[in-house]
Amino acid sequence: MNARNIRIRGVGAVSSAGWSAAAMHEAVLAGTPLPATPCTRPGDVRSWPCESRFAPASPPEKIARHPRLRRSSAITRYSVAASLEALADAGHDPAAPPPGLGILFVMMNGCVNYTGRFYNEVLQNPAQASPLIFPETVFNAPASHVASFLGVDGAVSTLLGSPNSIMEALDTAAFWISSGIVEDCLLIAAEECDWLSAEALTYYHPKLIGSEGAGALLLSASGGGPRVSDIIGPLGYLSWQERCDLLPELAAQTLAQVQGPATLINDRTGITKLDHAEADAWSGRPWDAVLSPKYILGESMGASSALQLVLGTLAVRQTQQPVVISMPGANTAAYACVLTP
Amino acid sequence: MNTCVGSSTLHTTNLILSSLVPSPLSQSITITGAGIVSPLGMGWRANEASLAADRIAFRPVDLFDTREFISKTAGVVDLPAENLFHRFSAHKQTFFDRGTRMLLLAIREALAQAGRQNMEGIDAMVIGTSAGAMPLGEAYFEHAHLEAGRVSSQLSRAEHYQPQRQMSSIAAEFGWRGPIIIVSNACASGANAIGWAADMIRSGRAKRVLAGGYDALARLVFAGFDSLHALAPSGIPRPFDAQRDGLALGEGAAVMLLEAEDVRKSAALGYVSGYATATDLHHLTQPDPAGKAAIRTMTTACTQAGVSPSQIGYINSHGTGTPFNDVAEAAAIAAWAGDAVGTIPVSSTKSSMGHLLGGAGAVEAVICLMALHGQWLPASLNVREVDPAVHFDLVRHFRRSALDHALTNSFGFGGTNATLVLQRRSA
Repeated sequence: MNARNIRIRGVGAVSSAGWSAAAMHEAVLAGTPLPATPCTRPGDVRSWPCESRFAPASPPEKIARHPRLRRSSAITRYSVAASLEALADAGHDPAAPPPGLGILFVMMNGCVNYTGRFYNEVLQNPAQASPLIFPETVFNAPASHVASFLGVDGAVSTLLGSPNSIMEALDTAAFWISSGIVEDCLLIAAEECDWLSAEALTYYHPKLIGSEGAGALLLSASGGGPRVSDIIGPLGYLSWQERCDLLPELAAQTLAQVQGPATLINDRTGITKLDHAEADAWSGRPWDAVLSPKYILGESMGASSALQLVLGTLAVRQTQQPVVISMPGANTAAYACVLTP
Repeated sequence: MNTCVGSSTLHTTNLILSSLVPSPLSQSITITGAGIVSPLGMGWRANEASLAADRIAFRPVDLFDTREFISKTAGVVDLPAENLFHRFSAHKQTFFDRGTRMLLLAIREALAQAGRQNMEGIDAMVIGTSAGAMPLGEAYFEHAHLEAGRVSSQLSRAEHYQPQRQMSSIAAEFGWRGPIIIVSNACASGANAIGWAADMIRSGRAKRVLAGGYDALARLVFAGFDSLHALAPSGIPRPFDAQRDGLALGEGAAVMLLEAEDVRKSAALGYVSGYATATDLHHLTQPDPAGKAAIRTMTTACTQAGVSPSQIGYINSHGTGTPFNDVAEAAAIAAWAGDAVGTIPVSSTKSSMGHLLGGAGAVEAVICLMALHGQWLPASLNVREVDPAVHFDLVRHFRRSALDHALTNSFGFGGTNATLVLQRRSA
């Protein structure tokens, strides 16, 4: 991967902890899982428990105003808020983003609220399904809205996949920057949670709790901010067992790059059956701190690796020590990365 | 008058681009294999024969109920009835989407054409899709609404709704464990995926990448275009016709095996010589009437390819057949080409197979490769009276032609524009 040495100049986040990266950082450092609430179904008929940790309502000052955002769904609002925070964090006036900005967007489920609503209308009466909703169901609608809001008319692209697909996006952002296609790149990953997504997670494990949010990173070739000093992976796998078997190799390759005190940000859910392979792989080294954002915030699917990176950036700033981020993924490949001051 | 305006616009665009794109990234990428599955047929030969016969492939859709829709036809692929995956049980294959099966067939053809039995030595797979495995999502939704209790099969639906899980099944079929990158920029997805892969090779991040796109017909998507009144009521799309009234949907897949220029040069079918992408901020679903983003992508892709508009021997247009798209693309081509516009042959193969959405850019890129290889031009069919916005040479019937460079445009919802330039092997 070519993303080594790219700088993370600014970060922003929306999560179940609130509408800022600082709120997420504080919640994760506190170490206590945020309260979950029952996730209701239409008609409220479900024979098994299903909980979620939704993002709280937007504070008034975080509501961005733009014609495109009038009917956009939560995933776009999270993305815009996180992007504006990342730009401001990097010292830019969010009202005047830097010229030559590109956008790379990563998601897994995408615009599930409008997709469910539109398909429900199709099932009820296709002839009356709303033409206003359908375009909002398309996977790249959030990226398009963010681009429109920020006036970005250059390279804008959306990737689908496991949350750790963000590492492929990071690599491409580095290429875009180094080749002059863009000068800076906003890397965004976001997800919104609805009752269908929350239920789907319970099929993987009854205690898996759905969540949502967005993480945004402003990447540049130069300037201040933590450095992406190493990316390990992808280590591809075709089954859960293969995934478990190769995580020690992922950890070994990563740890060979890290000297001295460091922080680990892992993918732990708090469910032993899902976590044990990752926990075993990284257990052979003392860590200054181990942070588990998914355990605290919930399973935010496509947004989760971005939230790890945002948290890692804040941890590097705070500790001035390396941060290792473990992204084992769920069904295609495992990655890890090292951030340094 | 239009050509004067065009020349002026081109000059201005070049000035802007010269300040934005310092690196031309001019390395051509070798295409050593290609595979195509479309409503016109399975594989290169079948598609070539259909295009040579000016055949159209629209028929009633029987995959879901279309009674309530304005249009009831589409370009439907006749998939083989047998199990296409050799390493999975018949039961497991019920969770593999139609689009995934089409993609598998296209990949097999591309690998065979490149003289490969498997995916060993391929550094990455970059695939574009707009809808992914939407029918699995639809089924998950319907079961969730019907059942108050847990349904064990919902786990498989939730799992296989994810496009990366579908792609992972293809990887497993070949025992391959490389990175899978899925680009989803609506109808530009397939073109963006090929461009993304070419960029990976140009930047030295990969030597050999399998790239393309796919989409299968899905009820939700069909209903969406129906709700927008974007589908031609007759079921017959007429790109660049003065009275065009909408598009027809289709389904299909195509892939190319792309390799670094210095790899297996003797096996080259052609080259990807230029690629550019830009964003049209005009509207979520409607293009800027002047096609400004399209002008930028065509100009930048040709700059990267080192060719001028007059050297382009064929354009496979986005050409959906909707009133807004075609007039904007015609304006963009006129502005980009300037004085050369009248000499450039242009057609829309969506007129014969429909709009393949996330698969369109890849299928149309492979058609460009076939045209370069065979020295022919596919037609824009169903045109009764050419729209006055058309100043290019609209190809209305299949014809033989000498050409060295072809260009294909893809424009998607959300404003993603992409242009690929392909070069003939011997040029």
